[in-house]
Amino acid sequence: MTPSLEAYVMLSAALFAVGFLGVLVRKNTLVIYMCLELMLVAATLALVAFSHFNGTLDGDVFVFFILTVAAAEVAVGLAIIVALFRARKTVRVDQLDSLKH
Amino acid sequence: MTPLHTALSVLLAPLASAAFIALFLRRRGTAASVVSVAAAAFAALGGLELAFGLSRFSGSVEWFRFGSFAVELGFKFDDLAALMLSIVGVIGLCVHVFSLGYMRDDPAKARYFGGLSIFMFSMIGIVLADNLFMMFIFWELVGFSSYFLINHWYEKLSASDAAKKAFIVNRVGDFGFVLGIILCYWRNGTVNLTELGASHDLVFSRLIPLLLFCGAVGKSAQLPLQVWLPDAMEGPTPVSALIHAATMVAAGIYMLCRINVLMVPSSMEVIAWVGTLTALYSALCAVTQRDIKKVLAYSTLSQLGYMVAAFGLGSVGASMFHLTTHAFFKALLFLGSGSVILGCHHEQDIFRMGGLRTRMPVTFWTFTVAVAAIVGLPGLAGFFSKDAILVLAYDRNPAVFAVLALTAILTAFYMLRLWKIVFLGEPRGESAGQAHESGVSMTAPLVLLALLSATGGYMWLYHGAFGGVFSQIPEAAGSAHVVILLTSLFVLAVGAGSSLAFYTSDGSDALEQRSPAAFGFLFALRACFDRAYDYYVQKIQQRAAMALNFIDIVALAGIAVRGLAGAVEVVGFGVRALHTGRINNYVYWFLAGVVVLWAFAAGVL
Repeated sequence: MTPSLEAYVMLSAALFAVGFLGVLVRKNTLVIYMCLELMLVAATLALVAFSHFNGTLDGDVFVFFILTVAAAEVAVGLAIIVALFRARKTVRVDQLDSLKH
Repeated sequence: MTPLHTALSVLLAPLASAAFIALFLRRRGTAASVVSVAAAAFAALGGLELAFGLSRFSGSVEWFRFGSFAVELGFKFDDLAALMLSIVGVIGLCVHVFSLGYMRDDPAKARYFGGLSIFMFSMIGIVLADNLFMMFIFWELVGFSSYFLINHWYEKLSASDAAKKAFIVNRVGDFGFVLGIILCYWRNGTVNLTELGASHDLVFSRLIPLLLFCGAVGKSAQLPLQVWLPDAMEGPTPVSALIHAATMVAAGIYMLCRINVLMVPSSMEVIAWVGTLTALYSALCAVTQRDIKKVLAYSTLSQLGYMVAAFGLGSVGASMFHLTTHAFFKALLFLGSGSVILGCHHEQDIFRMGGLRTRMPVTFWTFTVAVAAIVGLPGLAGFFSKDAILVLAYDRNPAVFAVLALTAILTAFYMLRLWKIVFLGEPRGESAGQAHESGVSMTAPLVLLALLSATGGYMWLYHGAFGGVFSQIPEAAGSAHVVILLTSLFVLAVGAGSSLAFYTSDGSDALEQRSPAAFGFLFALRACFDRAYDYYVQKIQQRAAMALNFIDIVALAGIAVRGLAGAVEVVGFGVRALHTGRINNYVYWFLAGVVVLWAFAAGVL
């Protein structure tokens, strides 16, 4: 028995919600970053599912692009976080509030 | 040197002196006085040379230009200007020399002489000016010099108040003057005196001469702006002689004579009556004064009223003739009173003087000549000029004639009162008992002015140099001659006789003792203008100012300025609260943005 399209979409939505909630409430930049990735993966999952059930390759091709961009983004983002930690000795967003002052 | 260069150097010498004193000699009073007297002597000699050398010229240069409107600086040196320049020069020199003695021990001598120099510059500027704009500039400079010199003893509150009063009251008149100049320029297209005189299509309006007359009302202290002049006696006495008797207040009369071409009969009538009423009012005020200088100040007002009335009745000649003789004897009276005041150690109350006849003989005799001249004793200067005015009034307007004749009685009355109380009898005060004659620097100008006061009425004195002005003096013809002569002798006899009989030398005001009601009335008459202005300023103007201030605070400062800033501040405060610096908060805003965007896209909003 194969899961239905609804199940894939529901899973995708649940993953997205988890990721979004994480971005909203977590304080650690690394965790927020992982949550962002989770939201990206949720979108990817939905695309793959639609592609499979529609029998076209559009979604699959799009996913390749997304993965490529995400890999580049991770490299840059992690570098920024490391640099930030070196400069400020913390990666907690509630302590990184110098924009306010 | 061409006459033009001479005139320019006569004008600029006092300015150079003032500048030199202000820059280098502020702490060296004696040097400053020498420089200032030298400049005054140069101006006097140059002026007399120009006047009696019969140099008459005019010319101007452009100063600046806005489009078609050009302001020019220039000289118009005709007989009128020559006469006025001679008066200013001679009286100015006398006062400068007199000041050498009078101000010898003053700590601020340099400032004083610098002020005299700047005054001479301003006054000569008015005399020579060939257009009304230039005249107005020097007119204001004269106002400033007057303020500066009245305020000489500025640590005295009364002096600084008097200076402010003089300045402010003059501003009121000058406002009308400047409006008149603007109106004249607007209607006639020029304010150049020569061009106005030569113009054939002059616009005659009743308003222009009356507005210009406002300037003369302020400067020559006519009703209702006469209040500043008696107070201005707070300045040093030579200043009173120079500015408030002989020259500056005469500038108003001179200006009227300059703009004679603009006059129309209806405005002339107003001018004549203003002058007549001023003459009578001031003569009444003079009767109750106790301060020697204030008697003379009111007498000046009264004589200025004569001149304005003469001008209003249509004779520049009579007006300027009286201005000339008045300059001589009034300067002499003031300088004589300065000599008296200095001799009595700065005592100014006439009832504490007395008996100065033997102690100060030169001052006494010169003062007597001046008194005889002002009351119109036949043969002296005042007799001729006052008679010329009376002839004119008799001819043109009987009502004015009657008032002026009455004023002449009063003039004789208060002048003889002053003369008798100050010089005759026994000394009534300690300072009067110790009085002594002043030095030669003070008596020499007195003697010179006494000679001029005695002879100023005879035309041979002027060598025909001012024919353009003095040819216009009205002469009595036929029966009028007898009437005028009898009138003037009658008023002199009545005024002088009653005064000499009425006042005694016992140190009290006989009028106050015998008729307190009349005395009180005259005293109230003197004060009524000051009261009215006080009431106006305190009750009306002050309240209007308060109301405007309230509107200013509430509407402008409160709502418009502070309100606008307040609104921006409140918005800024709110927006700043949103800006927390935390990424999580921004994500909420991001979410809200997405929701709004979605709502737009879905057509919900």
